[in-house]
Amino acid sequence: MMDKTMIKTNKNFCRVCDIIDSLTINPNPDSVAVLEEIGTNSSIDEVREMTSKALVKRNEFASLSVVISNKGKGINDMSTVVAMSTINELLSLEDKQEAMKVLENTISSEGFDEEVKENARSVKALMALS
Amino acid sequence: MSTIEKITQLSHRIFNTSVTEQNVVRSSNPFAASNFQKNILTEDVFESSKGKQDNIVSFTGNITAGSKRIYSTFVGSLGSIGNKFYEGIESIVEFCSRVKESFVTTLNKMQELGNREVGNFNAAREVLSRDIKSFFAINTREKEIAKMASMEPHAQIKPMLIESLSALEADMAKAA
Repeated sequence: MMDKTMIKTNKNFCRVCDIIDSLTINPNPDSVAVLEEIGTNSSIDEVREMTSKALVKRNEFASLSVVISNKGKGINDMSTVVAMSTINELLSLEDKQEAMKVLENTISSEGFDEEVKENARSVKALMALS
Repeated sequence: MSTIEKITQLSHRIFNTSVTEQNVVRSSNPFAASNFQKNILTEDVFESSKGKQDNIVSFTGNITAGSKRIYSTFVGSLGSIGNKFYEGIESIVEFCSRVKESFVTTLNKMQELGNREVGNFNAAREVLSRDIKSFFAINTREKEIAKMASMEPHAQIKPMLIESLSALEADMAKAA
């Protein structure tokens, strides 16, 4: 298996990085759908990590909902590295209002899985402290 | 002719040799002073037998000593052309570095003096402080990202992302 240092120097990985970076700043709201559909479903941890960070950086209700309220994505990812990186990115946000709204919505809604709600509560507590 | 006349002529020839041999040149050539039918040889005309070997290939050909000196000077100068060329390039690089350094130093000094207006040039100083190679690389990447950021996500970006991800997965499978 290709290790982390090797993958970061890979030409195609750099290309994926550039595309994800462009979707982060793309004003078109369809960018979120592309990131969710392709990036968060990738089998490569590094790509999922990068996609989650990009969705947090967009700091929109739709993009934050993907990484907070979806099972197996963002803070609920099976990979600890991906989940922790997403939480770290959420804590690094200058304007946390939108993120808090999404977290409260996830915690209070009945339609979400209990595990997802539990993670949302933990992140909300961390964000309140930061 | 009487005997007295013959004696007179003989004495004339004995005591007046310069009448027939006017140019007597002293040289290392033993034949130089010889009279070959009244032609005075003042130069060494005897060539060595080695000089007549025409079949021997010579790199110098019929180059004269003077020409040889000129050619040797030219060939000698050729060796230094390469050095001068690189020295020229190095001097350009040094010049650019000096300009950059002096500009950054000037800005630093101005800021030290407390000139508030210099704050406007902070961005320029940061750019100049960067390594030149990274400057070009970052510029190219940023331009590419900015170009893609204005594209349509579903129609244009999505196929590109799928293609790049497939290539990356293939690379990872190869490395495994």
